[in-house]
Amino acid sequence: MNESIKEQLESTFKAVVVNILEDSRIVVDVKKEQVLTVLKFLKDRNFDHLALVSCVDWIEEKEFELVYILTGYMQGEKEYTGQERLHLIVKTRISRQSPQFETVTGIFQNAEPYEREIHELFGVKFEGHKRLTPLFLERDYEIPPFRKDFDTRQYVQDVFDKIPFVENNDK
Amino acid sequence: MEILSVDTNSKKTGSGRELELYFGPQHLGMVGNFSITLKVEGDRILKSTANPGYLHRGFEKLMEYRTWIQNFPMVCRINVVEPDSMEMIYAMAVEKLAQIEVPERAHFIRSIYLELARVGSHLFGLWAYANMLGFDTVAQWAMYHRDLILDLFEELTGGRVYHIYIWPGGVRRDFNPGFKDKIVNTLHSIGGCVPDYDSTFFNNRLFYERAKGIGKITQEQAKQWGATGQALRATGMAYDIRKIEPYAAYDKVEWNVPVRQDGDAYSRVWVIRDEMIESVYMIFKLLDAMPEGPVYNRIPNPFKWKIPKGEVYVRCESSRGELGLYLVSNGGDKPYRVHFRTPSYPHGLIILEKLLENAGIADVGNIMISLYVVAPEIDR
Repeated sequence: MNESIKEQLESTFKAVVVNILEDSRIVVDVKKEQVLTVLKFLKDRNFDHLALVSCVDWIEEKEFELVYILTGYMQGEKEYTGQERLHLIVKTRISRQSPQFETVTGIFQNAEPYEREIHELFGVKFEGHKRLTPLFLERDYEIPPFRKDFDTRQYVQDVFDKIPFVENNDK
Repeated sequence: MEILSVDTNSKKTGSGRELELYFGPQHLGMVGNFSITLKVEGDRILKSTANPGYLHRGFEKLMEYRTWIQNFPMVCRINVVEPDSMEMIYAMAVEKLAQIEVPERAHFIRSIYLELARVGSHLFGLWAYANMLGFDTVAQWAMYHRDLILDLFEELTGGRVYHIYIWPGGVRRDFNPGFKDKIVNTLHSIGGCVPDYDSTFFNNRLFYERAKGIGKITQEQAKQWGATGQALRATGMAYDIRKIEPYAAYDKVEWNVPVRQDGDAYSRVWVIRDEMIESVYMIFKLLDAMPEGPVYNRIPNPFKWKIPKGEVYVRCESSRGELGLYLVSNGGDKPYRVHFRTPSYPHGLIILEKLLENAGIADVGNIMISLYVVAPEIDR
């Protein structure tokens, strides 16, 4: 099963690198121009559940890595075919200087809140996304807080050390 | 509920004006720290916007500052109601990255422990749901029975709510002598009350009238919106990670995936009931099949523990649906990136918003709780 997916991907797309790490885990490295077509291709081959969209900040390489994790729903209602076991980790790198990427909400509707989250926490702008509004945070940070150069501990010190302690002699 | 704005110029049907309402976080129909902004006309909802973030503690970022072992007290706090599957998934990911084997007995103990947690969590969900519908008696029973399970956890792990019992390489300690019998006794006393639950709640006409047809989704919609767990199983698909990609000891015993067909609140709550009963039977089978042996494989010194470079996505079936964890290591003593795929995330941010359109205000709590949305899991 995983061999045939590897073959199909590598024969259809040129620059795709497929690694089978384990029986059920396949990592697919994709150029950023190809992400949408690869995702569409895989969705048509029963990988129809986008489980997660994630982002990793590789600060030393000055790149963000966008990660799409695809699994498949069952084709029938009761029978397990074995393909549900597989999950694909589709990865692509984008520049950290001007983090911009295309939205995949056209292919997977449920990518919407994940992309909103990445926009908010990493500052990646998704073109074509209809609702890039804040999700969790209530303040506007200079550096999006999940980036590696945002030091949470330093931030807490900077903010809270300015507030004086109360005098309390009640011992 | 607080009225945010009144628009008198809009169309004049029904009550004749549109209101914008805040539903939650301090509202009787709302469980947990979550709010929804509703645009209503009369008592019909035109548009709803979910507002998460009241419990955003940034755990995923904080975990990048702590060693692999130090993160266990953090992961379990991501889901307050059922912390156990969180421990499990983090342990699974670390084990996969560091290639640690788990002894056979520990697999069984983990499964028993996770199923107990599932029953406890479902009883909590039943409490919330019954309370919301006004079935106070059933709610109190469910809370009482959940407490019995927490007593078991207290004896096993020392903690009632947060246990930190699952550990990379196994579980922290073995069952005490006689603990098996205690599990059996507790489950018998809970299971003995199922007929009472059925006659007062599940077979009650009031529950049927109140939940039938509410918050209905088709299987196609469920797939599009990323539903898992009860929301999907209530539409007829037996999608359960415990069957699809068995972990712990779930492939060692026979059990069934409860399924319903209609996709509404009524079906979802029935799936929850059937799952509790299935879990109880499963625990009995696991207790019988449990082998003897060690429960723990030693891990390296946690203070100097470095995990090889790599990335992993693992998933397990929490009481709400597919729980996933994407974990990246860059070869250091701390995780490089942690990202949880929690089941409530698509349920609360996508499906809830879609289902509330054209629903009545009286059904907001019904839809939300039947979708089993837990706010801390969304915010993380």
